[in-house]
Amino acid sequence: MKAMILKEFRELRRDKRTMAMLIVLPIVLLTIFGYAANFTVDTIPTRVIGPGAEQAAANAPELFDIGEVDAEATTDDALAWMTDNATEVVIDTTTQPPTAYVDGASLFTAQSASAAFGRMGDQVEVDILFNPDLETSWVMVPALIGLILTFIGTIITSIGLVKERQSGTLEQLAVMPLKPADVIIGKIAPYFLLASFDMLVVTFLGVWIFDVPFNGSPWLFAIGAGIFLFVVLGIGVLISTVSQTQAQAIQLAIMLLLPQILLSGFIFPLDAMPTAIAAIGRCLPLTYFVEIAQGIFLRGAGLDALWVPYAVLTGMALLVFTAAVLRFRRDLAPSAHHRAKSKAA
Amino acid sequence: MAEPLIHAQDVTRRFGDFTAVDGVSISVAAGEIVGLLGANGAGKTTLIRMILGLLPPSDGALALFGAPPSREGRARLGYVPQGLGLWDDLTVAENLAFVDQAFGSRATAVPDALAGSRDGLVGGIGLGRQRQLAFAAALGHGPELLVLDEPTSGVDPLSRARLWDTVHESAEQGVGVLVTTHYMQEAEQCDRLVLMSQGRAVGEGQLADIVAGTTALAVRTERWQDAFEALDRAGVLVMLSGTHVRAVDADEVRVRAALGGLAAEVEPVGATLEEAMVARERSAG
Repeated sequence: MKAMILKEFRELRRDKRTMAMLIVLPIVLLTIFGYAANFTVDTIPTRVIGPGAEQAAANAPELFDIGEVDAEATTDDALAWMTDNATEVVIDTTTQPPTAYVDGASLFTAQSASAAFGRMGDQVEVDILFNPDLETSWVMVPALIGLILTFIGTIITSIGLVKERQSGTLEQLAVMPLKPADVIIGKIAPYFLLASFDMLVVTFLGVWIFDVPFNGSPWLFAIGAGIFLFVVLGIGVLISTVSQTQAQAIQLAIMLLLPQILLSGFIFPLDAMPTAIAAIGRCLPLTYFVEIAQGIFLRGAGLDALWVPYAVLTGMALLVFTAAVLRFRRDLAPSAHHRAKSKAA
Repeated sequence: MAEPLIHAQDVTRRFGDFTAVDGVSISVAAGEIVGLLGANGAGKTTLIRMILGLLPPSDGALALFGAPPSREGRARLGYVPQGLGLWDDLTVAENLAFVDQAFGSRATAVPDALAGSRDGLVGGIGLGRQRQLAFAAALGHGPELLVLDEPTSGVDPLSRARLWDTVHESAEQGVGVLVTTHYMQEAEQCDRLVLMSQGRAVGEGQLADIVAGTTALAVRTERWQDAFEALDRAGVLVMLSGTHVRAVDADEVRVRAALGGLAAEVEPVGATLEEAMVARERSAG
């Protein structure tokens, strides 16, 4: 038995990825959970409008971070801001008593805001927009679509590609008179189509079973999902190029998947995280897809409101997918890569 | 004279400080079967990967069909890698169909021997049949050159003989064949051999030429274990086949001196390819 234990430790010591999962991952998880796992929102971006805006801003509880006080703005402006996700709360003093518009798509923020306004009694009338009953499923389902796409894009794709490498057939493909682009597209297209099909199924099921409203443009959502798919498929291909076995690919994919689940804002609100942790979240593609999905599903937001996440995701897609294709191409046509390097030299 | 299908001149491949292939030159002409012979780790597969363009050489010149290895060149060859390069989750027929489509060739018929497994998954058929399928896939598009990396490894003798029949048939039709092997019996099937040891080519020529450079002495004695130990102690290159002791590239006087008073018959015999190879490896090493 002693020999067995020693052998196991020796193997583990040399398996750097497993060691990373055993030692680094718990520390990272503990740190992230400790800071990120916070449902309590400390500050809520708020705007105040109407003739009594100055006074209402002064009387607002500390929780509300008053960003803009505009006596001239109208209720229509307030609703437009909310749709554009420009702020989480608008206190509208054009009505009597003032109306507080709260973004129900930001579940925990809305819960905190409602509770705070509730403590003010009749002074404010609360109108929760986009998710009046604060249904968890309404917020989770759009975000879950992103998680499912991430899962297929990274884990399934990387496993599929590594399998080709592991069985030696990737070398056979490299020897065939196929262009690297043909192999790459031919290899990735089925996963893209399957993930797109999954996205459609989950969207329909989400709307049908959980009554999640779909208020925005289906085409805009499809484009966003397509761009996001390029990012996650690119990550999957990159994982495959640095993994020799399917187990290694799964390990790496999980290491990249976990932060996306925890820090993309779909479980724990980004606003409730310390700045440094939220900054990590803002580097993750799922964060931007969640923003797009919730914006289109619940707020019915258009491109004018969502151009930032679209732009960031497009940038990420170009970067990650290009890197992935170049790495994969190098595996398929190493001599061409060598010739190009020789020419450059 | 026709241009060789493969021409490698002083090709070297280094991986960091390790030199896997060290200044090897090799050529393969149409209709010729060239055997690349060497132990595991001799550099055979690395050389093949460079010829195919899967690995750039660190030094030296390499031409495939008269040009640097390229996709166009690879379209004219059939390759059977050591791992066979078959898709286990596809059926026999689907594997052939995919290869046909990739090469843009007409449909390859499922070999008769595989007719019963036509719709069976490749992962579920035996290794011998998998190798037959790999050969059929490699030959389907009518290649001018066959590159076979350990093509009969793990195959029973009957299947091995069948596969070699296929190789000979192809060569008779003008296909050049480069085959790596570490089976001495297979080397005898080749027109020309290149012996590799520790990354270097340590011998080249026809089987008879290679063997002719090596001498062997059969040492017949009932005390064969003592004879073996005595010769080994004396630094003689000694090989054992069953209970037959053979001294390779050794002087008869030296052998008798090493045996001392041990009663034994010492008789010059023809060296085998294996002995020639070991002798060259030793002198190279």
